Amino acid sequence: MITGGLDLGAGVIKGALLEDGRRVLATASLPSRGTPVSAARRLMDELGETANIAPGDVDYLCTTGFGRYSIPERNLQVSDFTSSARGAIFLFPKTRMIVDVGTQASRTMSISETGKVLKFKMNEKCAAGAGRFVDRCSKYLQVPLEEMGPKALASEHPKLISSVCAVLAETEIINNVAEGVPLPDILMGVFLSLSQRAYSLMRYVGIQPEVTLVGGLVRNVGMVKALRDTVGMDVNVAPDAYYAAALGSAILGHSRLLKLAQAPRPAGG
Amino acid sequence: MSGAVAGVDIGSTTAKCVLLGEDSRILGKSLNPVGVDIVKDAERALEAALADAHLSRSEVSFIAGTGYGRYKVYFGQLIVTEISCHARGANFLFPGTRVVIDIGGQDTKAIRVNDKGEVVDFAMNDKCAAGTGRFLDVCANALGFDVAEIGPLSLQARRAVKITSTCTVFAESEVTSYVSRGKDPKDILAGLHASIANRTLSLMQRVGVEPEITFTGGVSQNEGMVQALHRRLGAPVNVSPLSQYLGALGAALHGRERLSGGAT
Repeated sequence: MITGGLDLGAGVIKGALLEDGRRVLATASLPSRGTPVSAARRLMDELGETANIAPGDVDYLCTTGFGRYSIPERNLQVSDFTSSARGAIFLFPKTRMIVDVGTQASRTMSISETGKVLKFKMNEKCAAGAGRFVDRCSKYLQVPLEEMGPKALASEHPKLISSVCAVLAETEIINNVAEGVPLPDILMGVFLSLSQRAYSLMRYVGIQPEVTLVGGLVRNVGMVKALRDTVGMDVNVAPDAYYAAALGSAILGHSRLLKLAQAPRPAGG
Repeated sequence: MSGAVAGVDIGSTTAKCVLLGEDSRILGKSLNPVGVDIVKDAERALEAALADAHLSRSEVSFIAGTGYGRYKVYFGQLIVTEISCHARGANFLFPGTRVVIDIGGQDTKAIRVNDKGEVVDFAMNDKCAAGTGRFLDVCANALGFDVAEIGPLSLQARRAVKITSTCTVFAESEVTSYVSRGKDPKDILAGLHASIANRTLSLMQRVGVEPEITFTGGVSQNEGMVQALHRRLGAPVNVSPLSQYLGALGAALHGRERLSGGAT
């Protein structure tokens, strides 16, 4: 039985194909660029090719994320909280707290051992705590997004940012550049600033191990280090945690499919 | 002691100076952008105002500094916060002022004043670019306009769009998406001005809304913003061509008072 999960985020669409709700066949992502439906179709094709299956072989498709209602081919949609929780438990079964720093929003939630969301806190109003802040820094510092993390690791004296607004921080960062602050210190300052915001969301929910980082910034080594330093404890990180919500929705799709198979068919249906 | 009194206001983007005569008449004024050397900018502001007034430095008997960079006005004898200067300046131009709204390039303030121009209460947003001139700058840029054009253009709107994002960064994307959906830039601009008017009203509510309301700071030169505030408040707001100089004027008035032995 093959199920697909699509996580339609504000910036990037992530996808996963799963066999029997357990074995990962393929994961991939694409920038949505304002056309999520066609991007999602391209992503499904790409996933199918990697997994070496025909498009018709996907038994069930479950969507999640900001744009989950936009895909007509979906069989089911689930909230991003539910899917991230499920995905995190799949990757790290002892996860009790999830930190998700996405393009447009960051959120923190505590979950039960079965992956049920207990409490959550979200920031979607302000770019300062979201991946968008990193995107902007990448642009005006002219450092490609994927190089920001590795470069930040060379920082010896991170330059903390006092502004809590992404726009005002921009002025501050440009001043720091003008004053000759080394680039790695500036970059680490950006990640520490984001980590601070995530940390305050975490404290609001109540910190409990294990903490798993999922979503957009999980592949950024600078962000991972900054978060570990800020929180003062280990944070679970895995390459597939980038796809946590997509994986989670494929798993939830599988559970639903099993339930449907067991349920008696409605008469005349 | 006689002679002119100078008020020097060093803001985050511009330096202003006002020279006040003995009869509290404005003798001269200046406005210059602020660069990296704030000390020099302060000097330059005073020099320019002196040139405007055809006065020499020796004819100035007292100098008061205010604004974000007030501690760099080394040649001054008095330093006053910009909040009390704006209150004082607004009271001078519009004696009936009870609330001063100051929207600058980097922050927004609502100041409640009494009939003597003294500060009763104030609220300030200097943490977030939303609701400040910076918000208009960023969004004007996203639309490809100069910030000086957007006020008049916003007044030609037929149907203002609703800007739902509070954050400047998110509003910028919202603007871009409205453009790509074919919305009239004038309607988008009207929406942006309305958004700032909303933020301003909530800041004002923290000190109490009471007429007369005097609108100052760089953004008060934007006619679209004046109208948007008028509409949102349901009452007209006082604006003066001198409003950008209000901090400097207030500083000079405080200086005059100090010179004549009064308390400031």
